[in-house]
Amino acid sequence: MGKQLFRYSEANKEKFLESDNITFNDGSTVSPEEIWHYLTEEAPVKYPSAFEVNLYQGNRGSRDETLPTSLKTRYLGLTFSARMEKAKDNGKSIAFIQGGQAVDPYTAADTIALRPGLVNQWNNGLEYGNDINKENLRRKKSKEKAFHDMSFEACQTGGYEHVQAGDLRIDVIAPYTVLRCSDISYGVEAHRHGPKKNVKLLNVDYPLRYQADKPWAIEYFAQNLRRLVNTLDEVTGRKTSEDDLLKAIKLHNTGRRLGTELAELWWSADVPPTNSDDRASMVSLGNLEVHGDVQASLSVLKEAKKFIAERVKNGVKGHAVADNPKRLFILGSCVGINGSRSEDAGAIVVGRDDQWSHCSSLVEEEGDPYYNLAKATLEYPYEQSIEKRAQWTIEQIKKSRADGVIFIHNWGCNTQAAISRPIVDIIKRETGIPTYIHERDLHGLRDEQEQNRVNAFVEML
Amino acid sequence: MSLSGNYFAGVDVGSLAAKSVILKDGDIFATGLVPSGVNSVESGLNALNIALESAGLKQEELTYIVGTGYGRVSAPYANKAVTEITCHAKGANYLHPTVRTIIDMGGQDCKAIRIDQDGAVVDFAMNDKCAAGTGRFLEVMAGVFKVELKDLGAIALSATDTVPMSSTCTVFAESETISLVARGEKPENILNGIHHSIANRIAGLFSRVGIESDVFFSGGVAKNSGMKNAIEQALKVTIVKPEIDPQLIGALGAAVIARNFAKKEGLWA
Repeated sequence: MGKQLFRYSEANKEKFLESDNITFNDGSTVSPEEIWHYLTEEAPVKYPSAFEVNLYQGNRGSRDETLPTSLKTRYLGLTFSARMEKAKDNGKSIAFIQGGQAVDPYTAADTIALRPGLVNQWNNGLEYGNDINKENLRRKKSKEKAFHDMSFEACQTGGYEHVQAGDLRIDVIAPYTVLRCSDISYGVEAHRHGPKKNVKLLNVDYPLRYQADKPWAIEYFAQNLRRLVNTLDEVTGRKTSEDDLLKAIKLHNTGRRLGTELAELWWSADVPPTNSDDRASMVSLGNLEVHGDVQASLSVLKEAKKFIAERVKNGVKGHAVADNPKRLFILGSCVGINGSRSEDAGAIVVGRDDQWSHCSSLVEEEGDPYYNLAKATLEYPYEQSIEKRAQWTIEQIKKSRADGVIFIHNWGCNTQAAISRPIVDIIKRETGIPTYIHERDLHGLRDEQEQNRVNAFVEML
Repeated sequence: MSLSGNYFAGVDVGSLAAKSVILKDGDIFATGLVPSGVNSVESGLNALNIALESAGLKQEELTYIVGTGYGRVSAPYANKAVTEITCHAKGANYLHPTVRTIIDMGGQDCKAIRIDQDGAVVDFAMNDKCAAGTGRFLEVMAGVFKVELKDLGAIALSATDTVPMSSTCTVFAESETISLVARGEKPENILNGIHHSIANRIAGLFSRVGIESDVFFSGGVAKNSGMKNAIEQALKVTIVKPEIDPQLIGALGAAVIARNFAKKEGLWA
C-alpha cells in the first residue's frame, strides 16, 4: 500500500496564482503557475518523502496553504538540488563554507556559497522516489561514511564526505576558522589527506577572542577576506573589484534590512501570524543565501513581508498554531526543533540566535568594503564573549516575548556545549525565563528523545 | 468490590517495562506491569488489560486514558499523551504533596525533576545519549557478575568497602569491572562502587536543577536498595519511602492527569 501524501488544495490555487514570479540570479523567472504545477504534480513524485503524512517526519515543511510565500520557499527548497546541478552545468562556481559568515564576498565573486546543511540538501535531492524511511536510511548511510572518512566526534560533517566521495561538484572549500565551529579541523584534516585533496582549500583566519574593537584585528581579517576573494577569483577566472564587493554588501544589506523588518513585524503581532517553520523560512531569507540564489531569496522575501504585514493587520493566526502557544526561543549553532510536532504540543518557535546574529548586523557602505565587512563580521553578537552574547540574546528574547529558552548543541560542537550553561544562567538570572539545555545526537535526526524533552519543557511552561 | 464510580487510567510504556494504573475517582484501584516488547501499542495494551482484569472492568468503562513514556506516541487507546517528566511529577505529588525533588531512573534514562506544591514541574535535567546511570547500565553489570538484577542492591549493601569506578561509559565500565575482579577486588565492593558512581552521575544532574526536600525516588531502579542508599549519600538527603511500587509512579501520574483532563473537559464533575 502506498504512503499517504499531503496535497495542496485546489481551493487555494486562485489566490496563489495572483502572487508574484520568482526571479533568479541568471535573470530567469518562474511563474506561480509553474510553481503550483511543480508542487502538485512533479515534486510529490520526485520527493514523496517531503509530502508523506507521517507523525515522525522531522522536516516536512509548512503546510500553510493560504500563505503563498510558504509555498514558494517550499518550491525553492525542493528545487535546490536541480538548481545547483544546473548552475554547475552553466559553469557557476560553488564554495563549501562553514563558520557562520555572511556570504557577501562570495556574491561579489560570483560564487554560490553553501553551508553544510545546504550541501547535504543538494546531495539529498539527487535521488528521487524515496519515502521517509528510505530517505532517512540514505542520510544515515551518508553520515556513517562521514564517520569513516572524518571522525565520529565531528558535528557537521556535511560537505566533506560529499567532496571526498565525488558526489557533488564543489570547487572550493573555504571555512572561517571561527570558534563557533570547533570541529572544522576534522573536516579540514580529512580533506588534506583524502582522495579529492585537489579541491582547493582556504581557511579564512578569523581573529579569535573578541577582537572587534582592535583595528589590527579588523585589518588582519580584512586581509583574509581579500585572500578569500582572490582564491574565489582563481577558481572563476574573473577579477572581483572593490566595487563588486560594495555592490554585494549593498544587496545583502537590503536583504538583512528586510529580514529584520519581517522578524520585527512578526514579533509585533498579537497572535503568531505564521507557524514556526514559515517564520524561520522567511526570516532566514534575509541572509539571501539559504536557497543558493540571492535574487530568488530577495524576491520571495519582499513578497513575504507584504503577506506578513497583511496577516498582522488582520490578526490572522498561522496554520496549526495553538491558541496562546508557549513561545520558544532557540539558541545554538546549526540547530532548530521540529516545528510541527512542537506546535502539536502547544508551542511555537519565535526566534533563533544563530544566523539571526548576522542578519541583524548591517555592514557600513561608505569606505573600504573589505574593512567594513571585516568589522561587521567581528562584531556579530553571536561571536562575542559569553556576557555580551547573553545580553544581546536577552534583548532578542524580550523583543520576541519568549516564554522559554532552549539551548541545543550538537554532539561534537564543543564550544557551544561549553558556553551553553553560562549563557542560559545569565538569561535565567536576568529574565527569570525557564531554560533548558539539550545535547543533540550525532546524526542530527530529530528523534523521539529530543522531542520528549521539548514537549516536557513545553508542559512545564 | 463496588464498580460504581469514575475510572481514569494512566499507561506508561517505557523501554524495559509497560505499566498501568487505574484510579477510581481519586483512589488507586488497580495496577498492571509487564515487560515491554518491540510493539509499544501491544505492550501498553497488555499492561492496561492486566489492570482492567484485576479491577473487573472493561476498557470502555474508563472515562479517560493518558499515555506516557516513550510509547506514548503509539498509544491509539489513549485520549491524550503527556511526557513522563510531567507524569512522574504528578504521581509523586499525589502520594506525597510535600515532595519537591524527584529522581527518576528508568531503563534508558535518568531524570532530575524539581516540582512545586501542586506537582507542576519547575525545572528538570536528563542524561543525554549515554546509558551510564540507567537501568540498562545495572543490567549490564548484573550480567558481568552473573547475578539477578533484583539482587544487585542487596549485594552492594553487604560491601565492606567502596571500589571507585572511573569509567563513565557502560562498555568501558564493564571492562574496568572485569579488570577489578582480576585484581582480586571483592564483587560486593565493586558493585558498591558501581552504585556510588551512578549516584555521583545523578548528583551532577542536580547541580543543574538544585535539590529541595522532600526527595522522592521513582522508576524501576528505585526498587534497588543499594541505589537508594548510594543516592542518599551522594545527595546528602533522605529519600521518602513510596507506598506503591516506584516503577508505577509515571503511570500513576498519567492517571491523575487523566482525571484532571476529564474534569476540564466536563466528563467528570
